[in-house]
Amino acid sequence: MYVPDIKLHNATTLEEAGGTLARYAPSVRLLAGGTDLLVDLKTGRATYDHLVSINRIETLRGLDENANELRIGALTTVTQLGSAPVVRERFSPLLDATSKMAAPQIRNVATVGGNIAAAVPCADLPPILTAMNASVALWLSGDERTVPLHDFFTGPRETILRDGELLTAALVPKPPPGFGATYARFGMREGNTIAVAAVAASLLLDSAGTVQDARIILGAVAPIPKMVKEAGDALIGQKADDDSFGAAADIAMKAAEPISDVRGSADFRRELVAVLTKRALTTARDRAKETL
Amino acid sequence: MAIPLTLSVNGEAYTVAAEPADTLLDVLRDKLRLTGTKKGCNVGDCGACTILVDGEAMNSCLLLASEMQGKSITTIEGLAKDGKLTPVQKAFVEEGGIQCGFCTPGMVMSATALLNTNPDPSDDEIKEALSGNMCRCTGYTGILRSVKRYKRHSGECTCKQEEPASKDAGKPKYDSVGVSIPRVDAADKVTGRATYTADVSLPNMLYGKILGSPIAHGRVKRIDTSKAEALPGVVLVITGADVTDTMYGVSPARYDEHVLAKEKVRHVGDEVAAVAAIDEKTAEKALTLIEVEYEELPAVFDPMTAIADGAPQLHDQYKNNVNTHVDHTFGDIEKGFAESHHVREETFTGNNVYQSPMEPHASVATWDNDGTLVLYSSTQVPHYVQYMMAHVLHIPLGKVRVIRPTVGGGFGGKAATSPLDLCAAILSQKTGRPVKMIYSREEMFHYGRGRHKQHMKFKLGVDRDGKIKAFKSEIHLDGGAYSSFGVATAYYAGSVVPTLYHFPAYKFDGYRMMTNKPACGAMRGHGVPQPRFAFECLLNMVADDLGIDPIEIRRRNAMTPNTLTVNEMDVGSCEFRATLDATCNKSSWNEKYGELPPGKGIGVGSGGFVSGAGYCIYRGQVQLSHEKPREHFQKRSIFPHANAIVKISEDGMAAVLLIGAAEIGQGSDTVLTQMCAESLGIPVSRMRIRSEDSDISPLDLGAYSSRVTLMAGHAVSRAAVDVVDKMKPYAAKLLDCQEEDVEARNGKMFINPKRDNPSRDRKGADNCCSDSAEAARCKGAAHDNPNRNRKGADTTIDDSRTIPWEEVARQYFNDNGPLVGTGCYKPPDGLGGDYKGSTVGTSPAYSFGTSVCELSVDLETGKVKVERFTDYHDCGTPINPQAVHGQVEGAIVMGASETIMEDVQFDEKGQILNPNLHGYLQMTIKDAPEIFSGIVDSYEPRGPFGAKEIGEGSTLPVLGAVAHAIANATGVWIKDLPITPEKILKGLKCVPGPGTMHER
Repeated sequence: MYVPDIKLHNATTLEEAGGTLARYAPSVRLLAGGTDLLVDLKTGRATYDHLVSINRIETLRGLDENANELRIGALTTVTQLGSAPVVRERFSPLLDATSKMAAPQIRNVATVGGNIAAAVPCADLPPILTAMNASVALWLSGDERTVPLHDFFTGPRETILRDGELLTAALVPKPPPGFGATYARFGMREGNTIAVAAVAASLLLDSAGTVQDARIILGAVAPIPKMVKEAGDALIGQKADDDSFGAAADIAMKAAEPISDVRGSADFRRELVAVLTKRALTTARDRAKETL
Repeated sequence: MAIPLTLSVNGEAYTVAAEPADTLLDVLRDKLRLTGTKKGCNVGDCGACTILVDGEAMNSCLLLASEMQGKSITTIEGLAKDGKLTPVQKAFVEEGGIQCGFCTPGMVMSATALLNTNPDPSDDEIKEALSGNMCRCTGYTGILRSVKRYKRHSGECTCKQEEPASKDAGKPKYDSVGVSIPRVDAADKVTGRATYTADVSLPNMLYGKILGSPIAHGRVKRIDTSKAEALPGVVLVITGADVTDTMYGVSPARYDEHVLAKEKVRHVGDEVAAVAAIDEKTAEKALTLIEVEYEELPAVFDPMTAIADGAPQLHDQYKNNVNTHVDHTFGDIEKGFAESHHVREETFTGNNVYQSPMEPHASVATWDNDGTLVLYSSTQVPHYVQYMMAHVLHIPLGKVRVIRPTVGGGFGGKAATSPLDLCAAILSQKTGRPVKMIYSREEMFHYGRGRHKQHMKFKLGVDRDGKIKAFKSEIHLDGGAYSSFGVATAYYAGSVVPTLYHFPAYKFDGYRMMTNKPACGAMRGHGVPQPRFAFECLLNMVADDLGIDPIEIRRRNAMTPNTLTVNEMDVGSCEFRATLDATCNKSSWNEKYGELPPGKGIGVGSGGFVSGAGYCIYRGQVQLSHEKPREHFQKRSIFPHANAIVKISEDGMAAVLLIGAAEIGQGSDTVLTQMCAESLGIPVSRMRIRSEDSDISPLDLGAYSSRVTLMAGHAVSRAAVDVVDKMKPYAAKLLDCQEEDVEARNGKMFINPKRDNPSRDRKGADNCCSDSAEAARCKGAAHDNPNRNRKGADTTIDDSRTIPWEEVARQYFNDNGPLVGTGCYKPPDGLGGDYKGSTVGTSPAYSFGTSVCELSVDLETGKVKVERFTDYHDCGTPINPQAVHGQVEGAIVMGASETIMEDVQFDEKGQILNPNLHGYLQMTIKDAPEIFSGIVDSYEPRGPFGAKEIGEGSTLPVLGAVAHAIANATGVWIKDLPITPEKILKGLKCVPGPGTMHER
């Protein structure tokens, strides 16, 4: 249970980090918080010859809000995200994820960038960020591109990141009036759990309470955080009520592709998806109404 | 390649050479020797390694040391300044926030991080802040109290505990007994000073690792160790060919384990080879270079399949894989059922529960030049380890010295000699160097020795009033690949069921089966919790069938004092009914049961346990076990099970208690110290206890079967009385009075001429007394009373007629040399019946308790939140009420946790799917219920100061109470542990039918 012998590179700039990543691909991995990576290395789930620490690249830290969006630096820790006044006041649905993820010792170290880029199917931030229409900023050789988060994941622990490319930030658009979102997750116990099934949902309502836009994203029940477009579309133009939510939940449940493992069977996870979808939509609606 | 690192730790700058990939935890522990930070899981699940980095709590196992340069690191050693505890540390010491202490440093660091930024946290904020720190002992209750106490700085905490009611004024009052003093080891544990086995470091020490089998069943065809031996840093590799043919185990009739596999492997993880190397990392790497060729054999994982003809056989000597068969019938069982008004038969299934102590097993072995083995072991049973090392290594017992450093919890998982003990000793012997071996969390699961999963078919017959007429149980225990404790487990599964209720007729059929999984062993409540769960559920079902209140049906059947049970267990004191009444009242049962809305439930369960096994695990006398064959069984103890020496310092100012009883976190050092001080007549502050070294302390059988308070307590008190008896002539001379008028109390000796209580003063009693069973049954007769120097609480001391205790001790030393007293304890002769297996379940005394559980169930997801527990226990006289409550609180959380979430899961090849603390679920502080723990007034004549057990018995009511409350909330009985959300949802979908409780 030791981290195997490995070459550790300390990058102080993006250029340095990107260059080292490109040079040693594919047996190289970025080290940020390391709360997943070190476990993988110790248990032999993953092996790399090189690690590139980006913890000294200060520009990757912190939150920056402008008129349109919140930019969350990749090295921002989950604790920093959850305690930032701007998040608590204007991006509060993120707290549903930051407050439930793992335990304080992990949240104090784990980074937003890592939680996204590791592409672990049960990660807590990607579903709610996707529900909030977030994008990610990807840096390669001096160029930054912006990609919607729901296009970022390609499989379990796989993303569209190219050799030498880094995720530098998550970008969350400012929620408009009538927008409400939430993240509902089910864990096998109250504290320090991994999600068995999770649903993030967002609703955009008009003043009459009719759904203008809706997103439903499933966590831990598919190879990637799965946006169920049909479930969201089914709600558009509908009243945000139990009937429409029930129909959407049914679609979401059928779209889930869960596996059976120690935490629960696939059937159980599907049932949870239906329940969590209904609950998430209800909370999202209530929150949306508060902004109208 | 190692690089120089500069780290700021606790305000000091350290420069060390470390590998870039070294974790901060390893650098702190191995390079800086700051061993207060613990390695519990090494993957961020348990929080034992929590430290502060720039004020924030982090798991040091998940940080690379090289990334920590320039940051300010605080470890547990950095909190107390100038020898003074911080307020948080003080609160942990005073509020019972500490038991085994292994989680304590991390817990204190997390609490410190919270309170530094939020000095007035809510309960929810405290629980959130500590949710990444696992504790297996306290049930988190004392920990929550501790942080809350700090929060209030002063004043009383709202977590309620009751001191025992002192209604019996006729009983002697004590100075040190019955008092909630802080644990004697609390300050060491809260500062990180306490040394656990993994913290021991000897010069020139090597590190060992064991290679486990990757397959569940097979023959070892060939082992090639050459590549491993060629790895730089590897000193020795051993295989089955290098170790003795002598087998070991627990039950002498069934020693069936080799130190390393000789021919076959029987479960994944079965020991195949061992390596000693210059560091653990190298040893670990060497394991991957050992080539083993196996011939894989068909394996069997289910006990019901294993018993069938043609099933794969694990051992030649266990036909049809039946390791033990118990066939007990007491009374006329057919007549009992025939006369029953109502008979109900149900099938229940238990789960694979693991003790999961926070401290991983560890051993350090070294050999003295004179050929004495010195073994540091994380064990509950130093003597049995000593005995087994002598047996396997073919050396006299006297050539084995076992040192038990601080132990971070056991719960039965450390109650036998481990492969680490044996391999460390052998590797050390062959290399001539000390060898340290520690299990990883995953290896702990593969070693196993957890609770047996039991498949139980129960049939209960009652009369019109719910009084039990007959009970029949058929149980298949899934034993795993080796016997371990299993023979006793199989008997326990039957023998402690009839100690709680009156059974006129009882039949028990038990089969302990071998399967290709890690061996199961003894876990808290040894063999009894699952049958108890099943019986309590069945009794509640029957109560419902008849429309009798579940508590009332217990009252009607409750065990009564001074009863010989149907299976000839000798019950003395018994306040079971009092626990039923108190729990009923305190929980407002009558207002709640049947009155709660769907999704809310209340349930009741009861239980009780032995206060120490009546017989030693091995027969005969202490000897090298090769010397002669096992002796024929006699219904008496050949040698004392507990022994103590009390040695007074030459100035009379300190008393040192030397005893081998194993402190594993349960608090035995503290309660034994209290009893010793009480019997000596000095304050606890003058006491020290040395319980860690077999060279210092005489034999004690160890911490199992809830035996320590009663058995070691007697030995301690008798040794203390022996000291006082030696002092009396000197005191009498100085006080100018008769010897028999001298009393010792509170650091003074004085004349108490009004002594008039000869019935409590058995003059001339042997200091190693074994009560005859007959005398013991005659309650009210004089029992060996450790407190016979004491007259009564209201004695007024005439100052002019007192003399300092230490002055008398000095006078004694001046004339005679060392002032030493000895004492020992043998269980009463003649315990148990004359049938086969009658010894298991025999005990000098039995405990009783009742729990009421309140919980809520999310009827859409099946998720259970255990909200509240109300518990009353009959533990006789509580020696330390806070320690008693600590045991109850820990047992409730452990029991509730195993009822709803714990289960070691295997795949179809026998691989464990969840050998870690994120897959094997245990309750966190956020899952733990609010607990009210109460003690009913009781006095056990066979116990020291009237005391009996608390540690294991308090687990027993819990499982049934939780299951009943879930049934009450949902209308569905789940008879298959653990009661997971998935099972509840499935149950809710079934139309209520047979097996349901009441329809909504």
